[in-house]
Amino acid sequence: MNTRSLGFRLVAWYAGVLTAVFVLLGVLTIFFLQRYLEANFLDTQARRARQIAGTLISSTSRAEEGALPGEVEKLYSPEASDRFIRITRADGRVVYVSGLPKDERYDPAQVPPASAGEHTRKVRLPENSLLIAAITAAGADGTPYVVEVGASGAGTDATLARVLLMLATGLPIAVCVAVAGGFVLVRRSLAPVARMAATAEAITQHNLGERLPEVDSGDELERLAVSLNLMISRLEAAIDGSKQFVADASHELRTPLTVMRGELESLAQDGQLPGEAREALGSVLEEVLRLAEIVEGLFALSRLDAGEAHAPWQRFDLGELAATTAGQMSLLAEDKHVSVACESHPGVIVEGDRARLKQVIVNLLDNAIKYTPGGGHVSLSVKREGGCAILEVADDGIGIPAEALPHVFKRFYRVDGSRTRAQGGAGLGLSIVESICTAHAARVEVSSVPGNGSTFRMLAPLAGEPLVNA
Amino acid sequence: MRMLLVEDEMKVSELVARALRAERYAVDVAADGPSGWEMADAFNYDLIILDLMLPGFSGAELLRRIRRKNQQVPILILTARDATVEKVANFEAGADDYLTKPFAFAELVMRVKVLLRRGPITRASVLRVADLEIDRLTQQVKRAGRRIELTPKEYALLEYLATNPGRVFSRTMIIEHVWDQSFEGLTNIVDVYVRHLRSKIDDPFPAKLIRTVRGVGYGLGQSADG
Repeated sequence: MNTRSLGFRLVAWYAGVLTAVFVLLGVLTIFFLQRYLEANFLDTQARRARQIAGTLISSTSRAEEGALPGEVEKLYSPEASDRFIRITRADGRVVYVSGLPKDERYDPAQVPPASAGEHTRKVRLPENSLLIAAITAAGADGTPYVVEVGASGAGTDATLARVLLMLATGLPIAVCVAVAGGFVLVRRSLAPVARMAATAEAITQHNLGERLPEVDSGDELERLAVSLNLMISRLEAAIDGSKQFVADASHELRTPLTVMRGELESLAQDGQLPGEAREALGSVLEEVLRLAEIVEGLFALSRLDAGEAHAPWQRFDLGELAATTAGQMSLLAEDKHVSVACESHPGVIVEGDRARLKQVIVNLLDNAIKYTPGGGHVSLSVKREGGCAILEVADDGIGIPAEALPHVFKRFYRVDGSRTRAQGGAGLGLSIVESICTAHAARVEVSSVPGNGSTFRMLAPLAGEPLVNA
Repeated sequence: MRMLLVEDEMKVSELVARALRAERYAVDVAADGPSGWEMADAFNYDLIILDLMLPGFSGAELLRRIRRKNQQVPILILTARDATVEKVANFEAGADDYLTKPFAFAELVMRVKVLLRRGPITRASVLRVADLEIDRLTQQVKRAGRRIELTPKEYALLEYLATNPGRVFSRTMIIEHVWDQSFEGLTNIVDVYVRHLRSKIDDPFPAKLIRTVRGVGYGLGQSADG
């Protein structure tokens, strides 16, 4: 379990507070219950003491006090009812003390003498506690006597123990139930957040039109969904704006390029021109053509980005297309003394725009040949693996440094000085490869060891089977 | 031969008109949709060249109006956007050919000639350029009576250049005819093939036939301009 999660922290706090409240409540209950029970009990004892004083003491003079024990025994029989009764003359002489109670819970001889005056006390004896009420009463001749009546506190103690047990067992159960309920509650209230996160994760640059569900609940969750949606809208507007800009810019650039190209071409074909001027013109024309190529590439990319309707898809053998393309490009490699080996398994059928996928192969091969020095090798292979059609172009050329790998599919990205304009190209070839792959629900990956070569892999769905996201 | 050019970009229209007039065509120029329609409605042109983005009303609208009136006249579309969908829509609306800016003027002239059925496709089975002889039936090539062995692609390239001796073909045109559009942007493949072709056709002989016009492209035989 994730102890840092919001759900866990909420429930932990909740359980902690709940336990504290329960414990406090229990302590207070026990405290007040004990006071109440003991006060009640002592009240009864005090009443009995007053009764003894009223019936026996008041009519007994000092000379007659010898008859008191018999009277008390006869009227109250304290041993039989487990009661403690003691009558002490004010000068400390014990006139009467009850004997060992029937249940022998305490020894009356051990109860310390009481002071004069009306009071109650709790006496703790080794095996038991006694609750005793004492009053002072005057005999018939005015001799003051202290009358003590008490009984074992075991009854109230047992009641308290039962209540304590109830609380001690009830509290953990109540906390457990509350925590379980808390988890369910937290999970339920956080479920919309999880749904929002799942939807937000599914939104990429290709389906920016989608929005998170907004529940009209008026709470923080609704606000979160609304503000996330606003953010996606701003993002969509920004991306649309930049795509539109690229489309507009490449469109606007075409007319001046047409004029430049036309004027320069007609000049360049003029045989009267001195050689130097012809050279300069040719150089300018080459740059114009390169510019036109870049504009063309940008336009193609913006069309692919916009997910524009494409040529009808057809099923074809990717291996066969690769072999044909490699054949058509072999002379280009031979010219650089680079060998191209093509190994393709038949029956790797994919579905898509054949011309565009051919462009993927052309661009990858062209790239590999470009960055492989003379004497090097380029291999092209097509196979099926794990439900995917895999096209791999590997070379043993200069390779790509690790820090450049994540950027090679970016527009106009060039690895370093050694791959600059001298190698030609617009810097859009690999971006176009990636965009075509995306349009075909395929992925393209690159791996490389600098100095040992690079490998580009395209993983495309086989015709009739969705791409397995390995 | 009289043709109408409807193009709002002054410089482009001047250039196109100049290129076509150099081929001895009579060219009328209109700069917007309404005046283009007026002229197309008033005269019987042999060919109409339309830009798609026009003030007044668009080239697509003009194309529909012309087609309603005249089913026959060949129409060539010039455009700065080459989305496939749009291309298909315009072909369906009656366009005969389509050229994306920035185009090579040599290519424009070629397309015009094809549309006027006076194209560069020579029906002759044997093409001759100076002492070079290409037999299109047997695909055999001879120079000064000596047989020269060519690979199929080298042959296709040579035959394409020989269809219009003296004209310079842009690399893009060569790629589109000899390879296919997937190779667009891969113009160095043309250079490599031309170099190989040269080593077989020209190197053993004192007179060189394959001509390079830097930045423009390649041609076979003497320049048409002189």
